[in-house]
Amino acid sequence: MILHPTVIGNLVGSSITTGMVVYAATYGLQILKHWNIESGAELQLILERKTYLISTFLAFAFGMQLISLFLFVFTADRLTPLFVGAMCAAGTLNVNAFGYPTLLLKILNFVLAGLWLVLNYADNQGYDYPLIKWKYGLLVVIAPFILLESIMEFAYFIGMKPNVITSCCGSLFSSENATGLGSEIAGFPPEPMMVIFYLALLLTLLSGLYAYLTKKTTYLYAILSVIMFVIAIASIISFISLYIYEIPTHHCPFCLVTRDYSFIGYVLYPLLFGAVVSGMGVGILNPFIECESLRLILPKIIRKSTLISFSCYSLFGLIVTYEIVFSNLIMRG
Amino acid sequence: MIELSKVRKVFNADNPNEFSALNGVSVKISQHQLTVLTGPSGSGKTTLLSIIGCMSRPTAGRVRLDGRVISSLPERFLTDIRRKTFGFIFQQPNLIKGLTVLENVMLPAYPLGESYSLLKAKAIFGLDSLGIANKANAKVEWLSGGEAQRASIARALINNPSIIIADEPTAHLDTNLSFRFMEIIENFKTEGKTVIISSHDPLVYNSSLVDRLIKLRDGQIEG
Repeated sequence: MILHPTVIGNLVGSSITTGMVVYAATYGLQILKHWNIESGAELQLILERKTYLISTFLAFAFGMQLISLFLFVFTADRLTPLFVGAMCAAGTLNVNAFGYPTLLLKILNFVLAGLWLVLNYADNQGYDYPLIKWKYGLLVVIAPFILLESIMEFAYFIGMKPNVITSCCGSLFSSENATGLGSEIAGFPPEPMMVIFYLALLLTLLSGLYAYLTKKTTYLYAILSVIMFVIAIASIISFISLYIYEIPTHHCPFCLVTRDYSFIGYVLYPLLFGAVVSGMGVGILNPFIECESLRLILPKIIRKSTLISFSCYSLFGLIVTYEIVFSNLIMRG
Repeated sequence: MIELSKVRKVFNADNPNEFSALNGVSVKISQHQLTVLTGPSGSGKTTLLSIIGCMSRPTAGRVRLDGRVISSLPERFLTDIRRKTFGFIFQQPNLIKGLTVLENVMLPAYPLGESYSLLKAKAIFGLDSLGIANKANAKVEWLSGGEAQRASIARALINNPSIIIADEPTAHLDTNLSFRFMEIIENFKTEGKTVIISSHDPLVYNSSLVDRLIKLRDGQIEG
């Protein structure tokens, strides 16, 4: 293990979040089993009193979970000089078998935690805990993933050996010779990928605008926001990175978070994650629109969530377009 | 209509000093009436009032206000109900020293964001109707017991609540002031407010104004 402040920060943060989430999940099981708002039984009243406290500290725990994704990538980037061969976080994550699985789990848990926060926010607006079973049901689903992420993260950091020679991002995300998902995405031809990206962005934004103005087709927007997220990540690897690095063969999605590129990744990625979580939030809240205690407030929350997602994707599109237009790299001709 | 069903309240549960203040109280309290809770000390009057007024939650059982369960509401909804539905008059006036009578009366209305001038006019009107408008700018430390009591009544009324809850309101008043207090209660009834008083003062529970008398003993309703 390497005792670096960021490593300690990650592990302490992960332990606290996991402890809170696992404790809350056991309470969530009680809610799922015994909750009955019609009952005046002592257990029901205890659950009502506790849920306020538990959802408050869970909101903080999941807030930490959202930040932890970026802290993890930041840590991997900071540890780069310690490993021979590593040029950025991509190499550091490859020093043992737990780096990339931890990152994937963090991405998954970011989305799940974000959706839980959306549900929690909506539930807190109702006077009769309208979404409580859904909220704690989702928590029970999330908890094992958070626990697994924590175990993987410990295994990753504890298993780090400074004498390991790792791969650089050039070989992990190369459109030539190398194998693996990163390289396969990097191998997508940039021009058709650019067309797909802008078409998908246009469709998503039009759908978002329509959903915001008419309050219709919200499910369509939720689905499109997920598809757009996947296309955007693939596009970063396939062609956006090329324009930002101004190197026609460098596809690494991690160098975007380095000082060399003005930490632009810390703007692009939060926008993408914010867009997908709020976009999916529109979809998960929509089934509850007829709920009596949320009848007045939920359409407003859904509209706000649509607007957040729309704004994030718009801003992402604008920044990417700016980078492409003003890049010194010319891919055509 | 306020409806309590099988309400229990246990303090210090599972501790050696556990105390059960209410033991399965079920009662319906009608609107626009004066209801008096009476009974010896420790019978659960104050606990019952605090539960009706959403100041504490029952250990078990439900409280409904106009058919809506209020005892299960999340805290921020309860705050709203406390502010807008209930007006509280306590045994002690509980006025804040250092502030004037007017400031004390206006205080519970500040969170509702009403304009200051309108609020001030309402507070002056309230003090005037209780005969202490001339004390509006006096510090509360300078008030007599009766004046302090009336200032606390004006404060309870500032948000125009539909239900007035008074806990032993005449405990520290002499006979004349107690009669004066009952006159104020009569005005509340005329205005159509629901009034719930806990008291073991015969002057209160034997009053002809009382529509219903509920006797409590050992945390249960007698009879």
